[in-house]
Amino acid sequence: MTSLLCVRNLSLSYPSPRKRWRRSAPVVALQDVSFDLAAGERLGLLGMSGSGKSSLLRCLLALERPQAGHIHYQGRAVAPGSIAALRWYRRAAQYVPQDPIASLEPRMNVAQLVAEPLLRLGGDGDIARRTEEALESVGLDHRFLSRRPDELSGGQAQRVAIARAIATRPALLLTDEPVSGLDMTIRAQVIDVLRELSNTHGTAIVMVSHDVSIIAGLCQRAMVMEQGRLVEDRPTPELLKTPQHPHTRALLEAAPPLVTAA
Amino acid sequence: MTRYMSSLLPALSRGVTLLAVMVLIALLPWISGRDPAASILRARMGDQNPSPETLAAIREQLGLALGPVEHLQRWFVNLLHGDLGHSWISGAPILPGMIKALGVSLTLMSAAFTVALVTAALLCWPTLRRGLNGQDTRSSGLLAASLTAMPEFMLSALFLVVFSVWLDWFPPYGWQGAMHIVLPAFALGLPGGGLLGRLLTNAVAATFHERWIATWAVARFTRAQIARAVLRRSLPALMPQIGMIIVAMTGGAIAVEQVFSIPGLGRAVLGAASAQDLPALQGGILILLLNALAIGVIANLVRVALLGRALGLGALPVATIAPRPLNRRLWIVPVLVLVLLVMLVALGLPRDPFTSSYLRLQPPSIALPLGADGLGRDVLARIAHGALSTIGMAVVVTLISLVIGLAVGLMPRLAIGPIEITKATPPTIAALIVVAAMGPSAMGAVIAVTSVAWAPLAAHTAALVSEIRAQPHVRIAPILGVGALRLIPRSILPAIFWPVLRHAMLRLPGNALALAALGFLGLGPRPPSPEWGLILADALPYVERAPLAVIMPVLALALMSILGVSLASLTRR
Repeated sequence: MTSLLCVRNLSLSYPSPRKRWRRSAPVVALQDVSFDLAAGERLGLLGMSGSGKSSLLRCLLALERPQAGHIHYQGRAVAPGSIAALRWYRRAAQYVPQDPIASLEPRMNVAQLVAEPLLRLGGDGDIARRTEEALESVGLDHRFLSRRPDELSGGQAQRVAIARAIATRPALLLTDEPVSGLDMTIRAQVIDVLRELSNTHGTAIVMVSHDVSIIAGLCQRAMVMEQGRLVEDRPTPELLKTPQHPHTRALLEAAPPLVTAA
Repeated sequence: MTRYMSSLLPALSRGVTLLAVMVLIALLPWISGRDPAASILRARMGDQNPSPETLAAIREQLGLALGPVEHLQRWFVNLLHGDLGHSWISGAPILPGMIKALGVSLTLMSAAFTVALVTAALLCWPTLRRGLNGQDTRSSGLLAASLTAMPEFMLSALFLVVFSVWLDWFPPYGWQGAMHIVLPAFALGLPGGGLLGRLLTNAVAATFHERWIATWAVARFTRAQIARAVLRRSLPALMPQIGMIIVAMTGGAIAVEQVFSIPGLGRAVLGAASAQDLPALQGGILILLLNALAIGVIANLVRVALLGRALGLGALPVATIAPRPLNRRLWIVPVLVLVLLVMLVALGLPRDPFTSSYLRLQPPSIALPLGADGLGRDVLARIAHGALSTIGMAVVVTLISLVIGLAVGLMPRLAIGPIEITKATPPTIAALIVVAAMGPSAMGAVIAVTSVAWAPLAAHTAALVSEIRAQPHVRIAPILGVGALRLIPRSILPAIFWPVLRHAMLRLPGNALALAALGFLGLGPRPPSPEWGLILADALPYVERAPLAVIMPVLALALMSILGVSLASLTRR
């Protein structure tokens, strides 16, 4: 199977904040991270806060330039650049944010929000029709078209954010804690929407989470990060059953007991 | 590499702007096109016509035969040696006298700032208390607005008449003891205190609408703890404004020092301007600017210290008040004020403001409702015509500075230098520079006030822009293919336009007052044009015999200020 995304030897560090006019050692966010992602594959990225998973996501979103290493999408190099230079990649790899309501421009209605990437990134066909299609595939009908973000519930807003992300029919969805702000029943619905999309359209998903149960419910494969390093990378059921790394065991123990039963 | 470049940009911007202003000040004699030798001779020998030989001798003696570039070089080298040159009039070195005057001004300003802080705290207190009680924190702010509307020169004159002449509580002028500082400090501190109180009240009211207040209240935090947290949340956004209020005091101090005959820096500079003593003017302006610049830097440091890393992490939401139904009665105030102003103008416009057709200081009658001024001119006519000219100029100034402020504020880091330096320039100082370059005129006054009025709007825009850019729906924009340029009409302008417009409206009366103050100090429109500041200056000598001639322009200015502020509170959201 040829890989969709190829990540090799990524390293990234931030200059540390100044303390009393003196710079201490830089904060290491990523250290020699390498992995491949196959088309249609769903990959969970586990780790505590500060383990580097969000930094990795920022690199994958071409928002951050790593100091070393490279990312290739179907053989094409991915790196931060102008809007025009990255248009191809933005069409192919989209993003579902953590806080759905805050990440929707409050002055635009749902139709405008979902159509925006189609207008800016280019998409073939009728924009209005593709907007409605995208909304339908997340289970929202045309009545939502004229609503504004403050008239949506958290779950509806996240569906709109997903619809916006899939409007350009990307082959890869990157997402950072997409359900952490939602309550339990809505979480399951949103996860179902993501799984359904991935199954019908063959969309690959990289999902960052510190919640093992979410990853267990969606992803075939899971990676664990600790202090900027990948410490484990295995199919999810295996990882849950026989965690190898002490850090992974710690993460699993911290998770609610419900998970291991599922 | 680019990261280092972008962190250097603000510093570079500041440096370049400061250098540009220094060059402008250094070259003032050349920009003015006025022969320095001639103005010295005029000062030393009266209006005699100088012979070319005398002029050449003086030029030689002062080293004025040098060209602009050599002069610039020499001026900067001397500056580095702490030498600001010698006065053209007295021949004495400038720096020692200016430093002494600066000490006087700083003493006056710290007393005035204390007055301002106390005033602001008193104005904000009811809102804070209502917020802690969980009540609606809206306040009309009319008291604060009226205080803000009182220009320093008017308050000075008023206090002088009431407390020195009539009540004889305080000495009328001079600088000999503690009693001498009271009236000037109040005249200088009250307007700033009103503005600060109003801004603080707005910020505190907005903070009380944030959700964490309810959480804290439920979690049994004490009222004192919540009050402290609310102030800590509200103050950082105000720090630049506090800096600007202090800087505005350096400008206001010029008028106050003039009225009370205080030997401060402002009076020295104004004296140098009217005597065309350009080296003293240059030195004074430079010290005023550096002084104001230091205040701005300190205010900014305090803001950064208060905010901590929250701003950089993009975790700081804008405090906004949720829209609520407007109180219909709010319309009454501006409508009433507008009717009064329109009536005043409508009654006075058909009358003749220029001819001295009445007795000097003729008392009011039915034919002459507000009496006549010291030259026997109709006060009502002069105020009505003055309304059109002062408000008209103020509207022009406000609109131009709104456009400039929005445009400049959209480039926060590049614009930081010009904004800081300009904010450090009170309109009176800008007017001194303009007057030195092109002489006093209405156009010059508009240029002078506009050249500084855009800066607070740009600073406000820049602060809002950096906060808006930290919001999730803006941070996600590049991923959706929305570029930096398209972001401006999509997210940034709609979010900042109303707050900044409101701010500009709040400043309309301030601009009118700045124009009036320039007229009052003789730096604006020339007599006999009817301009509110000029009318006031003309009337002051007769204040005891014809108080209406003083009170009417003051009242008109206050009315217009209340109009601006009450209208602005209606456009909220």
